[in-house]
Amino acid sequence: MQCAESLRTQAYFDGELDAVSAAIIERHTEHCAECAALLKDFEQVRTALRHDLPYESTPPALQARIMRALDKEVAVKSPRGIAERQRSSRSRPFWRGVFSGAGGTAIAASVILFLTAAPFTDPLLDDLISAHVRSLMPDHLIDVVSTDKHTVKPWFAGHTDVSPVVADFNQQGYRLIGGRADYFEHQRAAVVVYQHGAHVINVFSWEANKAAMPKDTTRNGYHLVFWRAGNLQYCAVSDTAWNELQGLVRLLQDLSAQEG
Amino acid sequence: MDDRRRRFELVVLPHLDAAYGFARWLTHSPSDADDLLQEAILRAFRGFDSLRGSNVKAWLLTIVRNQHLTMLTQQRRGVFVSLPEEHELQDDQVMTGTMPGPESASIQQDEKRTLDRLMSALPEEHREILVLREIEEMDYRDIATVTDVPIGTVMSRLARARAALKARWLQEVSGEPHAVR
Repeated sequence: MQCAESLRTQAYFDGELDAVSAAIIERHTEHCAECAALLKDFEQVRTALRHDLPYESTPPALQARIMRALDKEVAVKSPRGIAERQRSSRSRPFWRGVFSGAGGTAIAASVILFLTAAPFTDPLLDDLISAHVRSLMPDHLIDVVSTDKHTVKPWFAGHTDVSPVVADFNQQGYRLIGGRADYFEHQRAAVVVYQHGAHVINVFSWEANKAAMPKDTTRNGYHLVFWRAGNLQYCAVSDTAWNELQGLVRLLQDLSAQEG
Repeated sequence: MDDRRRRFELVVLPHLDAAYGFARWLTHSPSDADDLLQEAILRAFRGFDSLRGSNVKAWLLTIVRNQHLTMLTQQRRGVFVSLPEEHELQDDQVMTGTMPGPESASIQQDEKRTLDRLMSALPEEHREILVLREIEEMDYRDIATVTDVPIGTVMSRLARARAALKARWLQEVSGEPHAVR
């Protein structure tokens, strides 16, 4: 049986944790022999791979060959090249294999990989966590920056398919910092972004479908809370504490009840 | 040289070696890696206008990987058509053909050769993720982009890949005095 913290221990080793989680894992590995041993294993594998495998640089002849191919490409401006440019400049949801001429192949292959890798995971949960993690990267968090719901709410009307409840709960410790458009369940979902202390909370919303609502869960250190209000499916994602996240969820549910 | 081409060289070609290394590990064959890299760079050039913002390396390696999958499918269907350059560049081929590769580099120590062999014997998705994380030093988000799976899958797959390599290594060296741990 693997320690429940083994993946977070790995994320710690890979420098993927925020300072708070890193401190938790450091304490954890002091008394968990299994995770302490994992850290050593990771280090050995890394040292071996980084030091004992040769790093290949591109052979000069191949570089020259590629340069000539590029020259030709520029000179010919083949119809195929232009068609491809047009095709790939269309925007697509970010988690699809972007820019690929492989299209169906890549998607089919990834589906196969996904099935073999994680037969019991709900792809929606993975998508939500991916979107949350991605939102934490510079420049990805917010499309419309505002602490004013009268700015954020109308923005969604033009950029998403839904109109979720939006309010600033600064008094209660949840500051509205903006909104974003994302893509879930084949719709343009709205994401309202709150800040709570040092933590970001993404509140995703999209039109509810007939599928059963996923249960609240914790994955990779992120909490996900699901609820429905009216015809909308909401999901709040954050690495803040459970009760803190649920605090915001209650505020939003109350607001839906008032507006509904 | 036109402006687009110049920008492409400035922005994308610094990652050529990373793309080449990745292509070598994906293909197991120097000449296949050459073809793969060339086709991927051409695709990257055609799609260059759609590159938005930050991570060029992840973008380029995604193209390399997708192109690899395309070429594999074509080879399996038997419709793979050689690039014209192959026939024009016999000399180059001989040169690149004799370059030592990740899987055949002339490394003297047994351990290095062993590691090389163990890596080559890993399942493709394990080898790929180890290369992206440990050799290309990419973060989870970028690996998720390149391999087109959610971050949660990246984490669990990476854990399995590390465990698999470690286990095979232990198996290999068990009984020897310098065994790892």
